[in-house]
Amino acid sequence: MTALDWILVALGAIALSGLAVLVLHGRRQNEQLEKLLLAADDRLEQLQRQFERFVPADVVERLTEASDVLAPERRQVTMLFADLRGFTALCDRLDPAVTVGILNDYFRHMTIAIGHHHGHVTEFVGDGLLALFGALEANPWQARDAVLAALDMRAALARYNATLRERGLPELRFGIGIHGGEVVAGVIGTAGLSKFSVTGDPINVASRVEGLTARYEVDLLVTEDIRRALDDQFRLRPMPPALVKGKAEPIQTYHVEAER
Amino acid sequence: MAVLLSEIQWSDPVLPAAPDAAWEAELKRRGAPVLEVDRRVAASRWLREAAYQATNYMPAALPERLHRMGSMVTAQENSCRYCYGANRAYMKLLGYSESFIQQVERDVQMAELDAKERAYIAFCRSLARSRPRPAAAERAALLELGYTPAQIGEIAFAISFGCFFNRVSTLLACPPEKKFERMAAGPFRWLLALAMPLMKKFGPGRPETAALDRATLAAGPFGVVVAPLAGLQAGTIMKAALDGSFESGLLSRSAKALMFAVVARTLGCPHCEAAATRLLLEDGFGQADIDSAMATLRSPRLAQGEAGLLAWARDTVYYEPSSIQQKTRALGAELGAAALLEAIGVASLANATVRLAMLLE
Repeated sequence: MTALDWILVALGAIALSGLAVLVLHGRRQNEQLEKLLLAADDRLEQLQRQFERFVPADVVERLTEASDVLAPERRQVTMLFADLRGFTALCDRLDPAVTVGILNDYFRHMTIAIGHHHGHVTEFVGDGLLALFGALEANPWQARDAVLAALDMRAALARYNATLRERGLPELRFGIGIHGGEVVAGVIGTAGLSKFSVTGDPINVASRVEGLTARYEVDLLVTEDIRRALDDQFRLRPMPPALVKGKAEPIQTYHVEAER
Repeated sequence: MAVLLSEIQWSDPVLPAAPDAAWEAELKRRGAPVLEVDRRVAASRWLREAAYQATNYMPAALPERLHRMGSMVTAQENSCRYCYGANRAYMKLLGYSESFIQQVERDVQMAELDAKERAYIAFCRSLARSRPRPAAAERAALLELGYTPAQIGEIAFAISFGCFFNRVSTLLACPPEKKFERMAAGPFRWLLALAMPLMKKFGPGRPETAALDRATLAAGPFGVVVAPLAGLQAGTIMKAALDGSFESGLLSRSAKALMFAVVARTLGCPHCEAAATRLLLEDGFGQADIDSAMATLRSPRLAQGEAGLLAWARDTVYYEPSSIQQKTRALGAELGAAALLEAIGVASLANATVRLAMLLE
């Protein structure tokens, strides 16, 4: 081999080593990028889980999937209002930590019962909650779901009261009002603070019906609209028509006694 | 956010294994492994054949690696611990790195995949999830990216039938294939990886399934949904499953048709609801009977043991595994083991059929 050949071989070797270094470097960079991407994804997932403590998981999922999926729209929705009776008076007597513990456990049991029947809790206000059925996606059986959820809530509250009794704590009582109708569903609020919820007259009616449970001393009332959507699966007792705030005519309600 | 394998809550099996020596011998003759699911569905002729087809189907016009990836994300979207674990293990045997698999399951944008492959994965997720079910626009987007109508038919079938198998496994709470998962994660997985293609090449083969024409596919229950798969093996498999499920007598034909109608309404599919209605009218139901059953999820025309079927079928569309497994166990107390297995097959097939009907959009 001539000196030129040696030089060419040496240059070739240098070029090959350079190429190998570049490939290795590129691969290392890729691996680092991959790690960064997975770490970023980890952080996003953690954030999403934290977010789900404040907003229903279904809503979080839809918000992260696409920006316009929760665009406001008119929907047929069934609303369930539940409120604890006499809890404010209880709060004055109990240690704050115990009060919050009781309330959190109560909400947990109720949320499970509601989720079990295709509903989702959209907000907790004090010791009350609002659950929606058919707000996130069309649900042809929303009235039935809401009533079944309420019956499960009644059973869950009875079980929870048994544990409270064992701990020497006061038992809870609630009132539930269910009504359905066309509402506007969407993300409502300001850029700084907003929530997925519904607005419209039916929600006021549902709230008033929940208020009637105290007057009639029953735990679960549904409106005529809900009754019409049910079959004889449930044992209903008609209550006297009642005038409620914001309505010119008295509204007919029914006490749901049990599932047949 | 799709769940990861470790996050899925899974209960004890709903039905025990009921091995059938003759069926296991047949599976071995076809070169297929005998899976936990096979041991639990062996008592139902149509269901065991459909389960075999679900795990052994390979699209003709789609690379195996893509098909496996699609199967994994489908199982993940359906929160099927059994299928997700098995598919994940299978991907490892195919040579995918752990980090790549994690990227797929976390739905991270993957640089290794081109736009066409990424669209495929997104479509798998969308159809498996069906919240809402993909519409014509998503099908058109795949066509634009270069997928042929036949490929889209195969893809839609693979995902839909994957959803069928995911539900069968989930509703049975089938125990995961832990041994296989351990082998795929162990140091000697390369041995298995080497052996698998050799077994495929030299071992006993999967029996050939003749493709059927449109007219043949269109005859029979939900033929309108199967017809777009004319000329594909997928069509023959789907038709056999549908015909078999409606021929079996463990549940009434009307109960099955109503289960299909309920799943169709839950997923918003007018084509499948109309097809189910036709079957019910043939069975002597009046339109008022059908409307009432669909409004209340109950029908006085069904046998007493079948009373809970419609509400349960509706719950098989979107669910959390441990919750639907609990409901399935409760249904079993009303139906008995044999009819429960049939119900699991029918509800799973209804979910597959309604998803497949996206081809009609």
